[in-house]
Amino acid sequence: MTLLQHLCQLLYDSGFGTMIRESDYAYSIIESVHVITITLVVGTIAVLDLRMLGLVLRPISITRIARAVFPLTWSGFVIIFVSGFLLFWAEAAKMYTSPAFRTKLILLALVGLNPLIFHSTVYRRVHQWETLHVSPWRARVAAIASLTLWGGIIVAGRAIAYF
Amino acid sequence: MSLHSWFIALGQSSLGHAMQTSKWDFALVEMVHLLALALLGGSVLVVDLRLLGIIFKGESARLIGRDLSRVLIGSLIVMILTGIALLSEEAGKCYYSPAFRWKMALLAAAVLFYFTVHRSALLRTDHGRPTPWARTTALISLTLWLGVGIAGRAIGLL
Amino acid sequence: MKSRIALALGLLTCLVAAPAAYAHHSFAAEFDGSKPTRLVGKITRVEWTNPHSYFYVDVIDAKGQVANWGCEGAGPGALSRRGWKKGDLKIGDTIVVDGYRAKDGSNLVDARRVTLPDGRTVYGGSPGDGGPGDNGTDQGALPTAPAK
Repeated sequence: MTLLQHLCQLLYDSGFGTMIRESDYAYSIIESVHVITITLVVGTIAVLDLRMLGLVLRPISITRIARAVFPLTWSGFVIIFVSGFLLFWAEAAKMYTSPAFRTKLILLALVGLNPLIFHSTVYRRVHQWETLHVSPWRARVAAIASLTLWGGIIVAGRAIAYF
Repeated sequence: MSLHSWFIALGQSSLGHAMQTSKWDFALVEMVHLLALALLGGSVLVVDLRLLGIIFKGESARLIGRDLSRVLIGSLIVMILTGIALLSEEAGKCYYSPAFRWKMALLAAAVLFYFTVHRSALLRTDHGRPTPWARTTALISLTLWLGVGIAGRAIGLL
Repeated sequence: MKSRIALALGLLTCLVAAPAAYAHHSFAAEFDGSKPTRLVGKITRVEWTNPHSYFYVDVIDAKGQVANWGCEGAGPGALSRRGWKKGDLKIGDTIVVDGYRAKDGSNLVDARRVTLPDGRTVYGGSPGDGGPGDNGTDQGALPTAPAK
């Protein structure tokens, strides 16, 4: 057993993890919060992505939309991360061997990397292009990457039940 | 044709047979259902938070509502179509499921509310600050849609 | 020697059944509606877990060979609403399980009805789900499944 697998087994065997895993209600509620919060995380950032692609809210500037959306996306992310971590804790040993879960983590890392790159490059000059109905191609690439990666994360998350 | 026999007919339809026998159809359809949920939820949130006066202050609620209505209605249609397919896989169980019945009632209420009272609130608010009535409308909308989501989760858990 | 082979066979089928039991969901994708099965066996393992519970029974066939079967049930919440309790299934108890066989032919059923040692039966289905014992209620009718 590798160290990581050993840690996963410890989490799985712990009283807390077992309690969630064997619960009548806790697991179902945590999972439901996790799934429904997808709307707050992905749904809101999708509006910004769709704006950069020139598909929605064209009269409104990019920074205006970002200002409106980022607090929502971030608060949603905290909720979804905490609930996700609790679900992981309860099933840690099984998640270690799950290809779907590993895929989901990789995609999550990439979807976090995407805005880092975006914000340190084309977004630095956002005031030059934020009122354009369609954003510059680099921003559009970031938007498509965002939508695709989040879609992939949702699919991978659901696939955990199968793989 | 009674309601019950409609459900049975759906289960026995070619769609029902396909969903019931295929190994992956249900999973794929369910994934599309979830992707559409993200977009539906996102557009509902943005529009209703404008109506509550929390985001996009000063921007036209009418414009935001109208623009995002394409995303909202489009994703809603996808959810309904995938929903029918998912239903056809377990029509009998859903017929008797209190969670499913609640979901359908809340969905009907949410959609009806959206095309009537909610639309009117967006038009009247426009660039202005929301009235208490507009805020109430937004809260009712959020509650109804959230209820649809929770009831949907409950179908599989009860 | 024979018992060792039987034991090895039992363990092997257990290993086969275990991963299959996890790759689940959507009844129709996993289980065959035309293959009702009745298992009688001793409980060897119980996983009273979300999202699905599993319990494993050693079934002795007509030739005296032991095979380990996995039985999939709903999560603890749904089971408790149907009158199951965690302690109901005890290792070593002999139970009767009525269910559908897994489509891939592995030693796996979904547990529609379990008859406990004290004679009490608990129902795993939902009203209207069309499985064995479905009579539109949440108690289910006693299924008349053929013996394995």
